[in-house]
Amino acid sequence: MPLRRWLITLLLLLAPLSAQAFDLDDLQRQLATTPALAGSFEQRRELADLDSSLTSRGTFLFERGKRVVWQLETPVEERIELTPEAITDGSGESAPPGGEQVAQLFLQLLEGDWQALESRFTLALSGDQDAWQVALTPKEAALRERIAGITLQGDRTIDRLDMRTPDGDRLEVRLFDQHPLNGS
Amino acid sequence: MTRAGYRRLGWLWFAILTLCAIWLGWMLRHGLPADTDLTALLPADRQAPLIEQADRELGRGFENRFLLLLGDDERVATTRALGQALQTLVDDGQLAAIDWRELDLADADPHDWMGHWRYRLLTPAWQQIIDRGDAGTLVEPALRRLFSPTARPDPVADPFGLLDTWLARLPGSPIGAADGLLTLDRDDRQWSVLIGELKGSPYDMPMQNALHATLEQFQQQHPDAELLRSGLVFHAAAGARQAKHEISTIGAASLLGVLLIIGFVFRSPRVLLQLMVPLLAGSLFALTLTLGFFGRLHLLTLAFGASLIGIAIDYVLHLQCDRAIAGAGFRLRRLLPSLALGLISSVVAYVAQALTPMPGLRQMAAFAAFGLVGAWLTVVLWLPRFTLHASPFTARLATRWWRLCQPRWRLPPWLALVGAVALVIICALRLTSDDSLELLNPSPAALMQDEQRVQQLLDRDTGSRYFLVQAEDTQTLLARLDSLDAALDRAIADGLRVEYQSLAGSVPTAAAQQANLSRVHELYGAPLDDLIRRAGLPAEVAEKARARLDTSAPLTVADWLDTPLGQYQQRLWLGETADDGVAAMAVVSGARDAETGRTLQAVAEAVGGPQARVEYVDRVDRIGALLGELRRHTALWVVLAMALMTLALVWRYRRRAWRVIVPPFGATLIVLAAFALGGVPLNIFNQLGLLLVLGIGLDAGIFNVEHARQPSAWLAITLSTLTSLLAFGMLAFSATPALHYLGLTCLIGLASVWVLVPWVRPVDPDRIHQQENEHG
Repeated sequence: MPLRRWLITLLLLLAPLSAQAFDLDDLQRQLATTPALAGSFEQRRELADLDSSLTSRGTFLFERGKRVVWQLETPVEERIELTPEAITDGSGESAPPGGEQVAQLFLQLLEGDWQALESRFTLALSGDQDAWQVALTPKEAALRERIAGITLQGDRTIDRLDMRTPDGDRLEVRLFDQHPLNGS
Repeated sequence: MTRAGYRRLGWLWFAILTLCAIWLGWMLRHGLPADTDLTALLPADRQAPLIEQADRELGRGFENRFLLLLGDDERVATTRALGQALQTLVDDGQLAAIDWRELDLADADPHDWMGHWRYRLLTPAWQQIIDRGDAGTLVEPALRRLFSPTARPDPVADPFGLLDTWLARLPGSPIGAADGLLTLDRDDRQWSVLIGELKGSPYDMPMQNALHATLEQFQQQHPDAELLRSGLVFHAAAGARQAKHEISTIGAASLLGVLLIIGFVFRSPRVLLQLMVPLLAGSLFALTLTLGFFGRLHLLTLAFGASLIGIAIDYVLHLQCDRAIAGAGFRLRRLLPSLALGLISSVVAYVAQALTPMPGLRQMAAFAAFGLVGAWLTVVLWLPRFTLHASPFTARLATRWWRLCQPRWRLPPWLALVGAVALVIICALRLTSDDSLELLNPSPAALMQDEQRVQQLLDRDTGSRYFLVQAEDTQTLLARLDSLDAALDRAIADGLRVEYQSLAGSVPTAAAQQANLSRVHELYGAPLDDLIRRAGLPAEVAEKARARLDTSAPLTVADWLDTPLGQYQQRLWLGETADDGVAAMAVVSGARDAETGRTLQAVAEAVGGPQARVEYVDRVDRIGALLGELRRHTALWVVLAMALMTLALVWRYRRRAWRVIVPPFGATLIVLAAFALGGVPLNIFNQLGLLLVLGIGLDAGIFNVEHARQPSAWLAITLSTLTSLLAFGMLAFSATPALHYLGLTCLIGLASVWVLVPWVRPVDPDRIHQQENEHG
């Protein structure tokens, strides 16, 4: 019995490796193994009609299916909390009109919620479980007017988010020093 | 009159009717020019075309669109099923559009089209901050916005996020998106929203049927799904279904009843046909002349006028009964005085109304009077020439019926007087009136509940309460709207539980926009430099941002209404008025009670000033007041007409006059007393029923006295009240309130007429005829 159990466990562990394709479901399962994590971020916004960029840094807290807390530290202090229902900033003010949609998208990207994203984007996965990349292209023309494309990169977790708009603006978010949180 | 002369008159009448038919055909070549606005019934100086226009503007959305709210545990799947089912109606050309998917309502980004107006649009909060000299405090929030992951910063065009702040203040739609569906989140429950747009009229029957069938089928397949409906099309469809149902029950029963009775008495189908000829001829005559005189016709006139012509059935029945019983011995001459008196008394009542200052009453009275004259002429000139196969059964029936209905004692005048006084006292003490529109709402309660819940869930209104604001030019109008908003804000801060929508919040006056631009120039001084420096951006960004201020353009009302956001407010704009001014509305929703109404009225008076350029309008109250006015006018003129008739009857009948007036007046009093005791309030519809009761009662009274000894007269009175009871009284069982009240009045009134007649029949007719000859 112990041998048999060990064999099954081994087979289960090896199964994804032996399979030819690493697909979105596998990636979602892989991301789901860390239900909560915290880390630091660097956000760089390149604006096409300016030569310079807007760069900010801070820490973040991510609880799968619940919320993302974005703690800006430089150049300004601000705490932004995104939940599937609402987006609130430090003063408790709600987002500008249309902001909820952006916030929802942001949340879906960080969660790797492919089912939700697939309704609006075409998804293309490349790489393997240790270095994967998902490219998202909007399906509807209305959305294509605002987003040219999005790329997600990572390994056990998401490490980089890159969002480009048709007018050449670009938002790049790097997540690093990520560590899983227990409990909460 | 010679026989040939009589024939010639008959042909002349035929020629007149033919001419009428031709004239009518010519007038109707473009359809019936009918009015439906209640105010068209009022004198011209009392009409308010601007309010009518405002009502139409606000009602349009409710008329051309419908809205469904769907709540279910399996919301996504059921909404898809319903959305696709409704989509097939769009594909079949029954509906213009159906929106239910998330993207169906996605607007273009306001930043794209609001851009160059943003420097002239500031929220009151920001105006105060800059006016206080605290523009520097706006740097920190702007910085946060620039670095938020979800914002879309634009340091050149709008570093401070002026537009976002301004847009956040505009009333947003409560309808959002979730699960790819248009969604309303209320009280911890998600409702799917489906918005349909009609192709044509909400009264279009095939479309109503298709929509109804689709929704019924959906509900059968998904019995657990909760579906709320809102929109005129559902009320119209419910009304049409109810009418159809009632025509097949009440209508069929009345028709069958009349057929059975007439068939039983006369034993000839031809009499039935002959019954209809005068009514049709009278209607043709009335419709032609009324249209010819007034140019237009109100639908109420048509409905009630046509009912009032029903009195003419008296003339037919009296003539036919007499013919059937007298056989070859029939002489028109003998019947003519009572027929003429019956006609004159009714027509006098209507002519009195035709003299009122109310165009609506004038129309109705003219229609009824022409109709009665036309029907009467047809009866007198044509009917005796149609052959009547008199059955001996009719005569036997008349005699037997006459014996059966001999009362054991007669009503003494003093007792009639005491009874009348008692009834008047009851009426004076207990009778109430209610002209509210709610009382007359024909929609089923379930549909009204749906409607209320949808409006409550959506914070939406049907535009039934609003301020009508006028001014000589657009800038003055905007300023006036602005002070109205300020007054309303103060009242709301003081506890008034309403919300309002106004254009002033969206389009500031040109002066206010100029002042805002100056404030933005101040903000773009030191605070802008500070912001750019702290954001780590090069200093020339500030220069580029300042250069943008020169491109700023003022936002006009026309500009705003053209934008996707402004389109939602188009209903608030009335534009140029007849007196070269402009007008707009501010729509109120929320609490509806007398206290709120008074406060809103006071606000309108305070802002509008002595020239009353701001008017508070409550459509429901207004229509109720119009109906009430119509009712009081009708009542007044009917009382006057009754007094006039009484004088005429006293002149002809002297001491016997009371016997003539007891059936019509007694029945009227009994109806009113019954209403008083039963708590039925008086309204325009049961009052119009009283007109019918009076007309038929008066005819009965006249024939009862003129032909006191003739069983044929009593048979005719019985038949006439019975057929009218069937035709009008049965309407008491209608679920449409207006018809119910009309019917209830006829039911009680006509039954009372019939019961009263035998008791006031003259004791010894022979002696009275002798007296009459002595007097005459």
